[in-house]
Amino acid sequence: MTSISLRPPRHRVQPRVVAWWTLRALCGTALAVAGPLAAWFIWESSRTWTGPVAVAILALGLLYAAVVPYWRYAVHRWETTDDAVFVAAGWFVRDWRIAPISRIQTVDTTRGPIEQLLGIATLVVTTASANGAVYVRGLAPDTARAAAEALAEITRGTPGDAT
Amino acid sequence: MTADGTAPPPPRDGTAASAHGAAPEADHAGPPPPADDAGTGTGSGPPPAVTGAPRDDAPETADAPPPDDRTPWHRLDGRMIGADALRVLLSMAPAAVALLVVGVDPDAGVVWPLAILAAWGTFKAARNTIRWITTRYRLTDAYLERRTGLFVRTHRSIRRERVRSVDGEARLLQRLFGLRRVKVGAGQMNTAMESALVLDAVSRGAARDLHARLLGGQGAPTAAAEAADGAMDGAAADGTASPSEALLLSRLRPWWVLYNCFSVWGVLTALGLAWGAWVTLGMFGFDSYAWLRGLADWGSIGVPGTVAAAVLATWAVGVAGLAVNFATTYAHFRLERTTGEHGDVLRTTQGLFRTQEINRDENRLRGATLSEPLLWRWLRVADPLIITTGLSMWSAASSVLPRCPRGHAQRVLARILRTAGDDDPLRAPLRRHPAGALRRRLVWAAAVAAGSTAVLAWIAATTAMPHPVWWISGPVLLLVGSGLAVAGYRSLGHTFAGPYVVVRSGAVTRATSVLRTGAVSGVRVRQSLFQRRLGLATVTVSTAAGFGGYEAVDLAAPHAAEFADRALSGGLAAFREPAAAPER
Repeated sequence: MTSISLRPPRHRVQPRVVAWWTLRALCGTALAVAGPLAAWFIWESSRTWTGPVAVAILALGLLYAAVVPYWRYAVHRWETTDDAVFVAAGWFVRDWRIAPISRIQTVDTTRGPIEQLLGIATLVVTTASANGAVYVRGLAPDTARAAAEALAEITRGTPGDAT
Repeated sequence: MTADGTAPPPPRDGTAASAHGAAPEADHAGPPPPADDAGTGTGSGPPPAVTGAPRDDAPETADAPPPDDRTPWHRLDGRMIGADALRVLLSMAPAAVALLVVGVDPDAGVVWPLAILAAWGTFKAARNTIRWITTRYRLTDAYLERRTGLFVRTHRSIRRERVRSVDGEARLLQRLFGLRRVKVGAGQMNTAMESALVLDAVSRGAARDLHARLLGGQGAPTAAAEAADGAMDGAAADGTASPSEALLLSRLRPWWVLYNCFSVWGVLTALGLAWGAWVTLGMFGFDSYAWLRGLADWGSIGVPGTVAAAVLATWAVGVAGLAVNFATTYAHFRLERTTGEHGDVLRTTQGLFRTQEINRDENRLRGATLSEPLLWRWLRVADPLIITTGLSMWSAASSVLPRCPRGHAQRVLARILRTAGDDDPLRAPLRRHPAGALRRRLVWAAAVAAGSTAVLAWIAATTAMPHPVWWISGPVLLLVGSGLAVAGYRSLGHTFAGPYVVVRSGAVTRATSVLRTGAVSGVRVRQSLFQRRLGLATVTVSTAAGFGGYEAVDLAAPHAAEFADRALSGGLAAFREPAAAPER
């Protein structure tokens, strides 16, 4: 058992985000079950195997929705310093991302409809790399806005070319 | 050598793009300027003054509408019409020959392909003619402008100082008429994946003139190609265009064709060729099927023999097709370094019938990849690629050389990166990854073999599939998987060499990538629970160039933070656990 010699980022996120992850997992499960279920209704001769498949997907999805959001919440942390944005995420696969301030291209906050309902926001930090942005989910909207403004402020003052 | 000798080394980092308007030259994490190395004979002059142009990656159209001065507008070259007339004639020729000369029955199977061919040729010719009628371009003091379009008129203007490349290419028909298709690039490739402006087609002289006026005069855009195709174009007067201005980095060795004519594409090539021949011969009333039947006594050879003969024939045709394709594409291939107005440029010129020239701005160079497919690794043959911003890794421009011997590829890439001797990152000894990485791969191989065997056994038990399938496939899968696991483990490695981070991985295609640490725009450390048990972690360095991210797969977990820290030039120091910080 060897872990990475990185300390965890300083801040945790809002516990409300667990509800968001749970909802997302349930929606995903519903979509995944819809296929076999439709086949079960329409195509009668396939019921011998679409039934078990649908039940299996449903069971796995419910298990995922029950366990993984809490697991994610336990892992998910974030921090910004004057030099970098540091985010830890994931569940089975842990994921630490560091984006130096000098390479940041855009800083956004986004709030989907469910996030608005739950009163949380997502901070999205993109760099020039095509390799994906850094997401911090489940921030209180004020925190997210303040972090975005602070980052934008630091970014303006930091020389660099973002490539 | 003159051009190269006087050229200051290009600013490799920090000057390429300025996304939030900061001073372009200040790259806080930038490594020292590239070491002067004897290998390329490069002068060690002071870094060049930053050119006045703002180096935005979004050059597109003008900031302000260009003033309407008196510069006259030019048309595309009128010889286009001649080329298109010939195109129409050529596209109708097969039909004419088939129907009039050979006297084929005009039934539906024959007429349709011929009609489509003729219609396609006519359509292209009409389109070209409309483009000739509607297009005007001009080069003013500040802008290159083009107006085009019949129903949708577009007016595009590019500031002259933003023009980064002027590439000329010509297809066979265009070459016969002395025409060139000119692609003007302004560094917008990473967003739009297209050239800023295309002029299709202008005369060779006009192309040369455009290149000279846009990129500072010294080299003709198609100088090397001209020299190569002078005979075909008839007018070889300009064939002597100063090749001494460029430093030749590599040319083609004829035997490289051997390395480039074996690939899976060969099968597709063969099938395409066979289908084309079948249809064409059928049109002329030739019964290919009967001819094939008459070739040998297939009945006595039997099914396995027939299949073997078919596979061999397909393979041979494919190899021949790829060889011819390679020879025509890469004929007269030259890779050179020339000096442009905005720094040095890597230029390749190639082509027998269709000439092509690609210029790559060296300011955008961030590293290189040496890719070695499994079978070719034994023959010490590799594919060299360069990592640059603004170019898709799948585009032809990222490939600076065809597949060639590994030693040659390493030497050329070292000269491109201006690294040589002990510092050469492509030859640096790599740090191996822990044995846990091998165990992880072997477990995966065993799991895949066991899983697929179980599924096959279940299928065999419930259906009519014979049982030997699963008890043969199981061991075979295990053996192949274990072999790949060992190969994958052996290819793992990483190190730091000078300003470069080096990572290597890949079981089937082993890829060694070197990337300037100054170009790293973030790191990502990943660790699954399995990796955690085995003491492994995967570190991805992301960058704005090439594939966007390069992975050091399964390195020792205690070493991961240090690797990430060095790749980020110390940007991780604040996040490392104090106890682990001094560990090496």
